[in-house]
Formats: sequence, structure tokens, C-alpha cells
Amino acid sequence: MRKPIYQPLLIYALLIFLALLVVIPLAAGALTAFKPQIIWISSPPTWNFVPTLENFEFVLIQRQNLLHLRNSLIVSTGSVTMALILGIPAAYALARFRFRGSKGLLQWLISLRMIPPIVVGLPFYVLFQTFDLRNNHFGLMLAYLTFLIPLVIWMMRGYFVEIPSAMEECAMVEGYTRLQALRKVVLPVIAPGIVATALLNFIFAWNEFFLALILGGRETSTLPVAAGTYVGRARVEWGNLFAINLIIMVPVIILTIFLRRQLTKGLALGLVD
Amino acid sequence: MKVSLNDLVKKFPASDSIAVNHVSLEINDGELMVFLGPSGCGKTTTMRMIAGLEMPDSGQIKIGERDVTFLAPKDRRVAMVFQNFSMYPSMTVFENIAFPLQVLKLSKAEIQQQVNDAAAIVGIGHLLKRSFRQVSGGEAQRVALARAMVRRPEVFLMDEPLSSLDAKLRVQLRTEIKRLHQETRSTIVFVTHDQEEAMSLGDKIVVMSKGEIQQMGTPQDVFFKPDNVFVANFVGTPSMNIFDATIQRADGGLCVDLGGLTQPVPAHFPSVSAGQAVKWGVRPEAIKFSAAPSASAVPGQVELIESLGSRQEVFVRAAGKLFSVILDALLPVRIGQSAHLRFEPDSIHLFDAQSGLSLASKPQPKNS
Repeated sequence: MRKPIYQPLLIYALLIFLALLVVIPLAAGALTAFKPQIIWISSPPTWNFVPTLENFEFVLIQRQNLLHLRNSLIVSTGSVTMALILGIPAAYALARFRFRGSKGLLQWLISLRMIPPIVVGLPFYVLFQTFDLRNNHFGLMLAYLTFLIPLVIWMMRGYFVEIPSAMEECAMVEGYTRLQALRKVVLPVIAPGIVATALLNFIFAWNEFFLALILGGRETSTLPVAAGTYVGRARVEWGNLFAINLIIMVPVIILTIFLRRQLTKGLALGLVD
Repeated sequence: MKVSLNDLVKKFPASDSIAVNHVSLEINDGELMVFLGPSGCGKTTTMRMIAGLEMPDSGQIKIGERDVTFLAPKDRRVAMVFQNFSMYPSMTVFENIAFPLQVLKLSKAEIQQQVNDAAAIVGIGHLLKRSFRQVSGGEAQRVALARAMVRRPEVFLMDEPLSSLDAKLRVQLRTEIKRLHQETRSTIVFVTHDQEEAMSLGDKIVVMSKGEIQQMGTPQDVFFKPDNVFVANFVGTPSMNIFDATIQRADGGLCVDLGGLTQPVPAHFPSVSAGQAVKWGVRPEAIKFSAAPSASAVPGQVELIESLGSRQEVFVRAAGKLFSVILDALLPVRIGQSAHLRFEPDSIHLFDAQSGLSLASKPQPKNS
């Protein structure tokens, strides 16, 4: 039986509606970032204006957000790199070997993912204060690893499980050690999965606000924390806020577009076809 | 190179049963040895221990005079072809075959030469530039064979390499493996659950069940002189006709009472005694079928006919038992017609009902 013609139309209409729901506020915000201060909150909003970069200039130069951008980059790439280095071998071990408590370990790891950061905020604050890890890039990376490593392990384990263990075994019989086999034959196959994992983790670390707020300090606060300062008790600096929001969003969007083929491949890798 | 397994035992922590239970055997240099058995019989585990992918709990493995029991797989000089894995998907056909050579630090020209040679032998010389996506299942399995050959291993291990292929390709590749073996005279261990494959390939067959060797011998031995009921049942399609019976005294001698049917005790079972519970067996191919009655024939009726192509399997109800009989397909047989079955004494098998062991007087090859 043929599907009625209106069915795809309906689906597309729904998709367009949902897309607009997301895009309109973003677009309005992005435009506001280019508005001169006078018309930030003019009512009704004006869309007829000469675009200016004065908001960007203000947040980047005068408010020293280049420093926060740098902090964000350091903490995000650092924590993602560490999470991958620690998580991938763990994921491999959990995919290939059964050992006492391996199942429980996996469940415990996923439970870590379910904890909202706010739950660990206070204990972390006390701990990090004690060990002098507050206002410290490395300290913040450590805190992020709590959430990143479980994500890396769960995603990567899925990719490893999909690969027949005969692939490494074959390489091992053919003259390689297990580690060489992993590097030469398994990792190339799941490279898109690593990219997808890295990107999702990067987005988490890049956007993270709460831990960065309580564990960071003047010198180490990241962009989301800096963005928070534009929401004052008395007023909101809308143009500046949207300028910094754009600075936060654009790198991730560019990264995603740049890696989208790897990303879709990677996200589809774990699925059974 | 000769392979000796000495009293191998392997138990997996997760299971209660023993995967490989005191297995000892010798595979001679240049021999194609088939491990045959149902899934879970320990044949693959035994092979994986030879490859070094599993470590035995006890026992010893020797390749030639080298003790390799606890050596890493890479140092054993064996090659393995797997059931569910053929090609490294991130590499081309050429890179696949060259992969085992890369670790040996050979020159580019040498690698090129050896890859070309190996690819030519298995008939994939024209596919070297193809990627994993551009080759068929059969071609990928040939890549695996070439990759196994290129290292010139002392022993080839093949773990059901054909079972994921379709029937026609399977038979074709089986013939090629046989030809390869005859040309190279390399030592090959071949694991399969397909007894037809085992019959056609093996110089020798090891039949395994529940982690133990049931019988080791030539395909003819295993087929015509099964050591026990398991082997008799497992080897041969259709399976042997086997019925419970007892040995009875009858006019001075002994006979086999099958319940409603009495048969003489053939001469090659001198050790049976009256009252003994036995299993009486005859292969479907060995039963003489006739439409007309004759002196020693058992009368019956055809119940069912299945065509097997050039042959047909005819089920005959005689003396209350259902016999499977293999006949030429051209022989006219109708359902319901009367049939007379004759059993040649030479083709009769008797097994002890309790132990399942053959009661034949032939010298039993000692194993385990």
C-alpha cells in the first residue's frame, strides 16, 4: 500500500516547527549580539540597525574574556584528552575481559553519569579546598573527569563490543602483541567512534557551568562562568551576554560541522544495522 | 611440523563443565587433521590452546620439539583462519596480506613478492587494490587464507573457516583447501561441526564430545568402525539406525533380540554374553532393500520417502521399528509398498548399552 501524500508533508511540517523553536531564539540572540547598546532592549525589538562589533570588543578586550576563552580551551581539551587516555583502555578491558566485579563496575560507572554535578559540588569544594586544587586548571579537569570518564567508557565499550575479538586475536597470531593489535587494527576501525566520543565530551566540558563556578577562581574561570556575570541583580547586559554566548557556541558549531561525517558515522557505529 | 597435545585440560571459570578434558593426541607433520564435533564439544578451545589464545589449566603443547604451552600467540609460528573474521576492514587486500610480514621487518620488494605469490595461489591476484567493502565473502575468506600462508607457519589452524559462506562456495573452497594441502604438504588443523566437510578434508578425524576425544582415525575408520554410539550417531547423514536390544541364547548360540525382531550375532563380536543389554546399529546405506521376499529378509512397509538428489532416503516400518534406508534415486519406490530388508553381518554394529563402547573385536585405538 502506498503511503498517503500528506504523511511526509506532515512530518516535514513538524520538523520545521521544531527546528524553528530552537533556531528563532538563537537567531534573535545572535542578532542582538551585533546591536548597539541603545537598542538592546528596545520594545518592540528593532531589527533594522547597523551591525556593530562593539559588544564583542567590550567583552573580549575590556572584560578580559580572552583569558576565559583560554581557560575554557585548556580545561576542555585537557579533560577530554585525559578522559580518552584513561577511558579507552578501560573500555577495552571491560569489553573484552570478564573479571570479578566487571559488571558491577560498569553499572557504578553509569550511575556516576546520573549524578547531577550539584550533588558532588559541596564535597568537591571541601576536598579541592583541602588539597589546594581550587582556582586551578588541573583541579577543574580532575572534577570533570568524574563525568567524562564514564561517558568515554560507555561509548567506547559499545564500539569495542561490536568488533569481533577474532580481529585482535588474528593479529596476535600474526606476530603482534595485544597492544599493537589494538593500535594497528582495532583503533583505525573505531576512529569515528573516538571522534564522536571526544566531541560529546568536549561539549560537556565546554558548557559546564556549576563546577567551574564553585571550583574556579578569578584566573581560571571559564566562559560559561564569565557569561554568568552579565546577568546582574539589577539588569542584564543583553548585548554583551549574547556576544559572549556566541563566542561560546561558535567553536562547538564549527567543530561539529567540521567533524559531522565522522560524528554521524561514529554515532551509527554502535547501532545494530 | 608435528604437533603434540599431552593431557590438556581447560575449564572456563564461568561454566560448570570442563571445556577440554584430558585431551592427548599427535598430529603428524604434513597431516590435515580435522577436529569434528557438535558445538561446545571443546574442538575450538583445543585449537585456541594450540594458537595460544587460551592457556590450558594443565597439560603440554609441543610444536615440533618446542614446548609452546605458555608461549604468546605471536611467538608460536602458527597461522589461524577464523570463522567470523576474515579481513582487517581498515586495510586493502594487499595491506591485509602484507600485515603479518610487516612485523618481520622485510624489505618492500620482499613483501611485494611474497604477497603476490600468496595472492596468486588462492586466486585473488587481481584484487590486491580492493578495499574490504569491494570484496565478496568468499574473496575475503581467500584473503584470510593468503594472510595465513604468507608467514610460512609451521602449523595452520582453521576454525570453521567455511561455515559463514553459502553452500556452493563452501564446497568450492573446501576443494581448494584440500588442493592447497596436497601441494604444500603443510600441517593443518581444521575445526568443523560439519561431518561431510570433515570426511572430505581430513587425513584423520578426531571426533570430540563434551571435551573428550571420542575417536581418532581416518575418515573410513570413523565412518565404518565407530568406537562408540556417539561417533556412530554423529558421523554419517542420515544417521545410523540404532536400536536397543539384548543378547539372548538361541539354539546353542547367541542372537540379538531387538524386540519383535531377532538377528544373529555377527562373528566379529566374540565377547558378547547372554543377557547383555546392547545397542544394535546398521547404516542406512548398508541395508539391502528388496520388494520381493527372501529367506533372511525382514518384511515391512514403506512409510515415507525423502529425495536426496541422486539418492533417496526411504523409511521402512519393519517389526515395529522405523528403518532409514538409502537407495538409488532411480529405483522406483512407492509409499505403502511392501519392503524386505536384509542386514549383512559385516555391516552390523553392536555397542554396550551402558558404556556405549563398540563391542567389535578389532584392536581399539587407545585414546585419552
